[in-house]
Amino acid sequence: MAIVGLVITLLGFAVAVASLGMASGNTVRLVIVLVGILVSLGGIMGVLNQAYMKDAIWKK
Amino acid sequence: MKKVLLALVMTWCFGLLGTVFAQTPVPPAEPPAAPAAAPATAVAAAPPAMITDADIKALSGPKAEDKAKGDPGGTITGNVADIPVGDMKKGLTLADVVNQIGQNTIAINFVWTLVAGFLVMFMQAGFAIVETGLCRAKNANHTMMMNFMVYGAGMLAYWLIGFAIQEGGVGAVSNLGGTAPLSSEFAVKLFGKDFGLWGMNGIMLRGSTYDVGVMVMFLFQMVFMDTALTIVTGTAAERWKYSAFIISSIVMGAFTYPLFANWAWGGGWLATLGSSFGLGHGYSDFAGSGVVHAVGGLTAMAMGILIGPRIGKYTRDGKPNAMPGHDITMVLLGCFILAFGWFGFNPGSTLGASANGNLRISSIAVNTMLAGMAGSFAAMCYMWTRYGKPDASMTGNGLLAGLVAITAPSGFVNPTASVIIGVIAGLLVCLSVEFIDRVLRVDDPVGAISVHGTNGIWGVISVGLFADGKSNYAGAWNGVPGSVTGLFYGDGGQLVAQLMGVATLIGFVFTMSFVLNMIIHAVMGQRVSARTELEGLDIPEMGAVAYPDFVLKADAMGME
Repeated sequence: MAIVGLVITLLGFAVAVASLGMASGNTVRLVIVLVGILVSLGGIMGVLNQAYMKDAIWKK
Repeated sequence: MKKVLLALVMTWCFGLLGTVFAQTPVPPAEPPAAPAAAPATAVAAAPPAMITDADIKALSGPKAEDKAKGDPGGTITGNVADIPVGDMKKGLTLADVVNQIGQNTIAINFVWTLVAGFLVMFMQAGFAIVETGLCRAKNANHTMMMNFMVYGAGMLAYWLIGFAIQEGGVGAVSNLGGTAPLSSEFAVKLFGKDFGLWGMNGIMLRGSTYDVGVMVMFLFQMVFMDTALTIVTGTAAERWKYSAFIISSIVMGAFTYPLFANWAWGGGWLATLGSSFGLGHGYSDFAGSGVVHAVGGLTAMAMGILIGPRIGKYTRDGKPNAMPGHDITMVLLGCFILAFGWFGFNPGSTLGASANGNLRISSIAVNTMLAGMAGSFAAMCYMWTRYGKPDASMTGNGLLAGLVAITAPSGFVNPTASVIIGVIAGLLVCLSVEFIDRVLRVDDPVGAISVHGTNGIWGVISVGLFADGKSNYAGAWNGVPGSVTGLFYGDGGQLVAQLMGVATLIGFVFTMSFVLNMIIHAVMGQRVSARTELEGLDIPEMGAVAYPDFVLKADAMGME
């Protein structure tokens, strides 16, 4: 799951960069970049961190 | 008491918001009106006088007998006799005078930038005692040594290759007289535009980069890089294996930090978002909220997740236990040292004090001071209101949060905006610490992720909101004419550029840091054994405790 989290995090960055080629208007770019940031945050907090929490030292 | 404090903070915040927006539409003052009728006796303006070599030669310095009397008033020291002559046969010429003016400009900029760099170097001492004070006494030697050696390990890695990656293609920096040897940037084509990825000149400062201007650039950029590296030691403190810390710091100083720094400051693709895609002035990060602090904070987050919390930090049901540091006096003294060093960090980032709009160093210094203290004030009020006491360590972290947040916008915003940015940073750091501690359950002994990561990102975003379009650094920024202007002053494209930087930090820099540290973890392990951690890292890792007397006293009292 940790690898999946990292892939999702990187995907968010790719989405943000893709906005440069996908749109020319700043409003559309703004929305796409925000989506990219949210995807990355989801990857870190929702997937990657959860994967590491499964084996957290305080659960042992 | 809580209600009074809350009302005070809210009144203050709303008052400030009202003030900053009230400032926006003020048109430039009209020049004084010309007299209705010029006096009839007015004389036509004389043509400008031409200065020739003959005029220069006619100048003479003070007489020898006058100089022999001493110069208590300082009126005759420094004069025409002190201008170096290029050709003794010709004597002093106009060209000599003009060359001296040029060299004086560059000399002022060299001295300014170097002294600012020395101040930033001293911040390492601040970080060392803040982090050590926030850790337990049994780990003080280890924490201090990490902060001490991150400087050396990071610097060597940066000298070997990091500087070349970051600045190898930055081109001529006019404030420093050129830095022309830094002229090679590796770029790829994407969406029909050049995407600069890394620089290629300056490895080990050899060849043409053995240059006085490049040396100034190296020193200043190197101390910034070391600031980013030392942020990570705070989050991973009290459980990080020392040998793994050395390797991790070398990797970060050589690759992770320089890569993003190139994209933002070295002429890379984020800096050129303005000229290539019309996004404002491109990603603009005046002194490094993103480049230094968010890179450090996000790498700290990666390390925090990777090596896990300290033993005893969480109960079996996941509730956090407070693990207070051992010396709050060190913490607050360290915060003061950091605030002092920040006057090198932000005003020094003009890379000069003479020409090219560099006199703005005064407003940058004031912005820095205001945001820092606004941050500490807001954090103190928050803690006082929420927990009943003005918590000292969080008040200190509020100061640092305000300073971190103002780092990117310090060169582009006005003092009122600085206070707003600082207040938000002070509140943000408290909320972020609670969120990371209780919801994410990432153990961060010093609050580095919140101070540097969260507020680094807030600082980057605030440029896109509050930049007032009044700064003027040689008429352009990142190759785009005019001044950096945020959304509240009419340029929404700048906000998009800033958010692109945030997406890169969270999506790319975090991932890169995590993967590199995951590899180090797999090869040599990054965490000490449970026994070492419980015993304290000082003896097992460093071979000596920080406070031998403490141990003697404990022994005398029959304590382990």
